[in-house]
Amino acid sequence: MNKAPSLSTELPPVIALVLFTVVSLGLGVVANMAQRKGSFLEKYFLGGRSLGAFAVALTAAVMSGGTFVGFPSLVYSYGWVVGLWIGSYMIAPLTVLGALGKRIGHISRKTGAITLPDLFRERFGSPTLGLLTSLLVMGFLSTNLVAQFTAGARIMKFVLPSGASNWVIRDEIIATADSGYLLGLLIFAVTVIAYTTYGGFLAAIWTDVFQSIIMAIGVMLLFPLAMAACGGLANATTSGVAQTDVGFAFGPGAERAFHPIGLAFSFFVMWAITGMGQPSTLVRLMAFRDSRTLRYSIIYLTIYNAIIYIPLIFIFVAARGILPNLASPDDVMPSLVKTLANPWVAGLILAAPYGAVLSTVSGWLLIISSGLVHDLYQRFLRPTASEREVAWASYAATVAVGLVVTALAVRPPAYLQLIVVFSSSGMAAAFLVPAILGCFWRRTTAAGAIAAMATGTAVTLALYVVGSLGTAALGLDGILADTSMIGPAKGMRPYYLLGLDPCVWGLTASLAAGVVGSLVTAPPDPARVALLFDAQPPGAPAPATLELHPELRKTIEA
Amino acid sequence: MSHEPDPVLTNSRREAVIIGLAWLAATAYTCIYSYLYGYIRPGRPLTVADIRPVLGMPSWVFWGIMAPWAACSLFTFWFAGFYMADDDLGKDHTPELERDIREGGLHE
Repeated sequence: MNKAPSLSTELPPVIALVLFTVVSLGLGVVANMAQRKGSFLEKYFLGGRSLGAFAVALTAAVMSGGTFVGFPSLVYSYGWVVGLWIGSYMIAPLTVLGALGKRIGHISRKTGAITLPDLFRERFGSPTLGLLTSLLVMGFLSTNLVAQFTAGARIMKFVLPSGASNWVIRDEIIATADSGYLLGLLIFAVTVIAYTTYGGFLAAIWTDVFQSIIMAIGVMLLFPLAMAACGGLANATTSGVAQTDVGFAFGPGAERAFHPIGLAFSFFVMWAITGMGQPSTLVRLMAFRDSRTLRYSIIYLTIYNAIIYIPLIFIFVAARGILPNLASPDDVMPSLVKTLANPWVAGLILAAPYGAVLSTVSGWLLIISSGLVHDLYQRFLRPTASEREVAWASYAATVAVGLVVTALAVRPPAYLQLIVVFSSSGMAAAFLVPAILGCFWRRTTAAGAIAAMATGTAVTLALYVVGSLGTAALGLDGILADTSMIGPAKGMRPYYLLGLDPCVWGLTASLAAGVVGSLVTAPPDPARVALLFDAQPPGAPAPATLELHPELRKTIEA
Repeated sequence: MSHEPDPVLTNSRREAVIIGLAWLAATAYTCIYSYLYGYIRPGRPLTVADIRPVLGMPSWVFWGIMAPWAACSLFTFWFAGFYMADDDLGKDHTPELERDIREGGLHE
């Protein structure tokens, strides 16, 4: 039987989260002071390309709300096969940071690019491509942000004293909505919007590092507690099998074919390859200090992944033995913490998922606001805007984006991790191939890059639409095989063509379109390409000149 | 104008190819091993007796996921620690471009 919550058990997690929030806000203030000198935009959105190895590694860790809310529920629900779901993290630090890192850093420095749309526009000399990139980045990340805000609010609701919402949220709202969730959402939104807006990129990075350290401590505290409570992993596995079926110990998973081998392969593409194409990753690849920093960050990230993700699998397999038959697997993380740890340790551990969500959100908020201010407002409307005007536009954009996402998160979507997966696939299908081709193939044209982006996005979205609506609703029953029995049981689900995730088809289609689109269009200007691909003599012109920005010249002259 | 490829490009391309091969090897080993020894499939039903725990985890998880994870980590340490080149990424032109845009002029 559950004990009634008392002040002594409810207060410590609240204090931990308050401290966490105060430190994050404080880092926002310090970051603001640290970036007052130099170009506002480069400092606010890119930290002045000064990131060290530790910061790059910890901020490139793919921690998010899903890591501590959706992922544990998948392990709890489907068992050991979820280890294969994230198995590609074994190689991801090398692929995500190492494959494109130096070339992205190189090209962005040469062209003066500080955002992903900037990078594509400069590399391919196409304002249209830059605009398309901006719109896609904002669309995908906004979708993803809603899931992250939901996760943050859910954690906050779990930690808040049960009566707290009654004196903050009005009665009429309580009657129509979950007041604890709304209060959690309000606190979360105010915190993250405040420190991100004030501190910019450096605040996002510093809080990210701080939060990553807290996450590591949280996982390491929880790991021995869970192992001791479940009586060992073998015991927990037996419990899981008893509560579900033998699939808890094997692939493709307990009670349904959650992760057949086609999806196992797909997820090696998903995390290790598509991770390279995420806008947040590409922005970090523009922001690291030098090559040596990049090398060390790969090593640090490898260590970090091993000490976070492997224990997370063990912990939530163990949860089956400790908390059998939970009604809501999404709550397994906070439930486990409250069950195992004393309230003060629980407070610290619960701060870990909260930190994961905060750090993800702050980075994405900035990417979206940089798209609005730098790529749209400054590029097309007010290129000669003063530093002060750009600064205020940046602050306003960050707040506005945060408020819109908060409003959307009032009605939370089910099964967060799937939304994260959907956005990840979509963004990678859009941006990865243009990034790879742009870095390594001089024959790539702007038309090829646009074709790659549009085709990758269209194929991925089409497979999600078919999966969500069902083949029957679309009259495709006799043409496409039913894949409703594989993958997660609920939430937004794609159509798994030939048993593979849409990310595989999206990337394949994008690559084909990028190569064909480039070959059938006129080759790019050799002189322009040479500036980015050939060794240049001292004093050679920089690619970052207004001569290569016809859209700016037009606006300035007007 | 020079037609020598930029050294950052040549080093990055060589390193990217090796990274791609490492990804392929890790993916192939993990997926094939796991499918052969850890998946219930037609003609190969598995039971609790097939779990055969190694350090508490099913043996397929240990050999199919944890062992390659350790091998990949060692490879990564060597590759990033000793193989990758420390290339000079060049001068950052952002401030010049920003200034040009704001002033509406060109620079050399």
